[in-house]
Amino acid sequence: MIFRKMVQYMLMLGLLAFLTVFLLLPLFTVIGEGCNWELIVEVFRSPVYREGLLNSLCIALVTTGIVAVISLALALLYDRYDFFGREFCPVLMLLPMILPPFVGALGFQQILGYYGVINTILVQCGLERVDFLGGTGKFWSICLIEALHLYPVFYLNLITALGNIDPALSDAAANLGATKWQRFFRIRLPLLKSGFLAGGSIVMVWSFTELGTPLMFGYNRVTPVQVFNGLHELDNNPLPYSLVLVMLTVSALIYLIMRRLLSTPAGAAAVKGTMGSRAEKLEGFKRFLPTLAFAFTAFLSVLPHLALIGSAFSLRWYGTVLPEVFTLEHFDNALSNPLVLPSIVNSLRYSALAMIIAVFCGTLTALISARWHLRGAWALDLLSMLPLAIPGLVIAFGFLGMTSEYAWARKVFNPVENPLWLLAIAYAVRRIPYVVRAVGAGLEQTPEELENAARNFGAGPVKTLCRITFPLIGANLLVGGLFAFSFSMLEVSDSLILAQKSAFFPITKALLELSQILGSGAASASAFGVWAMAFLAVTLVSAGILLGRKIGAIFKF
Amino acid sequence: MASVLLENICKSFVPGKPVLDDLSLDVKDGELFFLLGPSGCGKSTLLRILAGLEKQDSGKVKFDGVDISSLPPEKRQAAMMFQNYALWPHLTVFENIAFGLRILGKKGAALKAEVMSALEAVQLADCAARRVPSLSGGQQQRVALARALAVRPAVLLLDEPLSNLDARLRDSMRSEIVRICRERNQTAIYVTHDRQEALSMADRMAVLRSGRISQCGTPRELYDYPANRFTGEFLGDINFIEGKISGGMLETGFGRFPLSGSAEGAFAGAIRPERIRFADSDHPGAFAAEIVRGTFLGDSGEWICRAGNVELAVKESAPPPRKAGEKVFLAFDDGFLLAMK
Repeated sequence: MIFRKMVQYMLMLGLLAFLTVFLLLPLFTVIGEGCNWELIVEVFRSPVYREGLLNSLCIALVTTGIVAVISLALALLYDRYDFFGREFCPVLMLLPMILPPFVGALGFQQILGYYGVINTILVQCGLERVDFLGGTGKFWSICLIEALHLYPVFYLNLITALGNIDPALSDAAANLGATKWQRFFRIRLPLLKSGFLAGGSIVMVWSFTELGTPLMFGYNRVTPVQVFNGLHELDNNPLPYSLVLVMLTVSALIYLIMRRLLSTPAGAAAVKGTMGSRAEKLEGFKRFLPTLAFAFTAFLSVLPHLALIGSAFSLRWYGTVLPEVFTLEHFDNALSNPLVLPSIVNSLRYSALAMIIAVFCGTLTALISARWHLRGAWALDLLSMLPLAIPGLVIAFGFLGMTSEYAWARKVFNPVENPLWLLAIAYAVRRIPYVVRAVGAGLEQTPEELENAARNFGAGPVKTLCRITFPLIGANLLVGGLFAFSFSMLEVSDSLILAQKSAFFPITKALLELSQILGSGAASASAFGVWAMAFLAVTLVSAGILLGRKIGAIFKF
Repeated sequence: MASVLLENICKSFVPGKPVLDDLSLDVKDGELFFLLGPSGCGKSTLLRILAGLEKQDSGKVKFDGVDISSLPPEKRQAAMMFQNYALWPHLTVFENIAFGLRILGKKGAALKAEVMSALEAVQLADCAARRVPSLSGGQQQRVALARALAVRPAVLLLDEPLSNLDARLRDSMRSEIVRICRERNQTAIYVTHDRQEALSMADRMAVLRSGRISQCGTPRELYDYPANRFTGEFLGDINFIEGKISGGMLETGFGRFPLSGSAEGAFAGAIRPERIRFADSDHPGAFAAEIVRGTFLGDSGEWICRAGNVELAVKESAPPPRKAGEKVFLAFDDGFLLAMK
């Protein structure tokens, strides 16, 4: 028994050390490098950086606003009503998550461009063309496209919060004479605060620090893009570090302010649905109304990607609603580009390695906090969730700083010579929370007594783990792994910053490079994007089939 | 099988609030031993300590005289039937029962035979191929029972094994458990809060109260001669008669009666309702009483009678018609008026 505990503690200490080196150290490196008062003052003095910060904040606010409206409406519909196709909603809600917004940005231009689909429709209706992407158009497009990507995160948090509200609380209000709207505003909405906090802070920090989408749109006056562009002259100008530090501070402030605004009294946490939610069955044509809402939202979020597919297959799509002259030429072009094939191989290698690391660390963390009851497990739990709150850009920058600051880091993962381990670990660290959530959800749904029973019937700890625990949470493990893998395949911040030589480019960086080639670049990039999306769709559909409804558990923060 | 010895077991989940408080217990080899007590008295915790699923704060657990306190659960051979069944939902009924047997190295035809015989014992032979979630609560409970019986453990631990069964099935399962335990000379510790179950099945039993043993003995000892008020009341209805106690006699407003047991320090006499009988006026020790109210239960009747200023519950089998206000004579069965401390 004592030996076993020792092994468990050793594993926990090992994990803590891993996270300290690959999560806390990069963070402190960024803070250390960026903590230069002159440069920080410079950031706030320069109108360019001030504008960048302001724009980023506005993107975050608008995106979160759009997300809140979409997801509150959908979550309430899902919670209250039993409608046609309700059982498919959990999988449908995943769709936007898997479509990387910065790939969607390519397609979005096809739809909203001056000679794009919407404008063509406007002209056909006898109206004037509108320059959607000119002026502030880019800003709104970025917000919309990010919102359409991020609303599932918010939605899933709301669904959880709704599920935790005892219907009896609302019934009690009705019993005392409260109307439907009074019950909504006085009872349910206040009880949903925790969901708003969890979902809102993630969405806000995420959109505040999103790099890929504005980069694709060429919207350069936002902090993440400014950081990225400063990368080339990092050796003689350390300002990007200070910029990252400012970004990190603002992210923390966002989180604190949200917490302050939405903190719930401790007692509210004890409200636990004893009966679960009761969905009202809709009759007649009303059965299809919520379905329409879900389908329309899903359609909107898929639209840019549909456009992407369109432009990937068409020779000409200019001033028409639908693409004309179908061709496979762009696929040929994409594949013949020397960047493309190696980048696929690279991404596969990085992501597979990242998946193994993330699944190992995540499963261990989940086991430690849900099963092993070790002292200090809370620290590990906290640390493993930290990547959700820290922008990817910050961690990527931290790694970069580490390789220039510490000799051992330069030796082990030199981004110039071979960033395999660097990228794999950077990917993995940021995917650990998903694995912890996926596996943790499985462990929480599986009574510990089942494992106790196995021990009681003579199975040792390893046998119990292999015969009882893992089979019972098998789907969760698999899904955690699939998510770690596919999100790594589409990772933007780490990939753009840490892969420096074209021979080591992962898919996302190759996509960006491709899209910037003049002439056929955008079309080839679209073709490449379609390829990547198809690949991801296969992974996630199989995950959806495996896990069914439980899939939402992964995105609950 | 094995004898079980618990020495000075202490356990608390919240400091200062012991669940088990310096508890010692001795269960003999082959005994069907019952732990009886109200909910929250620590009986399930005691079972889990025996199984090694909880660790006691102090004290020793010995099987056959060997201290197993530091042995992990899988080495203890103390198969438990869990209160919430803990059946593995990813395995069939057959595989659930075979799990422990496989670990013991059984395979092939022998394995199958043992699983099937365990299933037959709980009348579920036709459910072997089914998945656990498709079974009803009562069926799951019986599978859990079969799983624990199948491995022939050194000590069998049963945590309220029959709580979810209907009356008829419960009766047949009771006799089945008793039969199997007798046949195998199986040491078993059985937790329940059902006093009928304990009284009818136990070789010996202990009544637990707030983590301590209130009394331990055979069902008859505990029922007929409860050592304290808690045990007396927990095992059935009982009358407490206050009065002056001197020289082994209880002096009441309606007579003077000999007490059984040591009267020193006693605060009252106690007697079970079925040990008071309606008697003739010339019956030795008879005293006058008046029926206050009564309940007719078919095979028996329960009456509340007033003697002096004391109300006594009286239980009578095959009751003749009686009316409230009727004057009667009652007598205590010899040796059943206990000095209660």
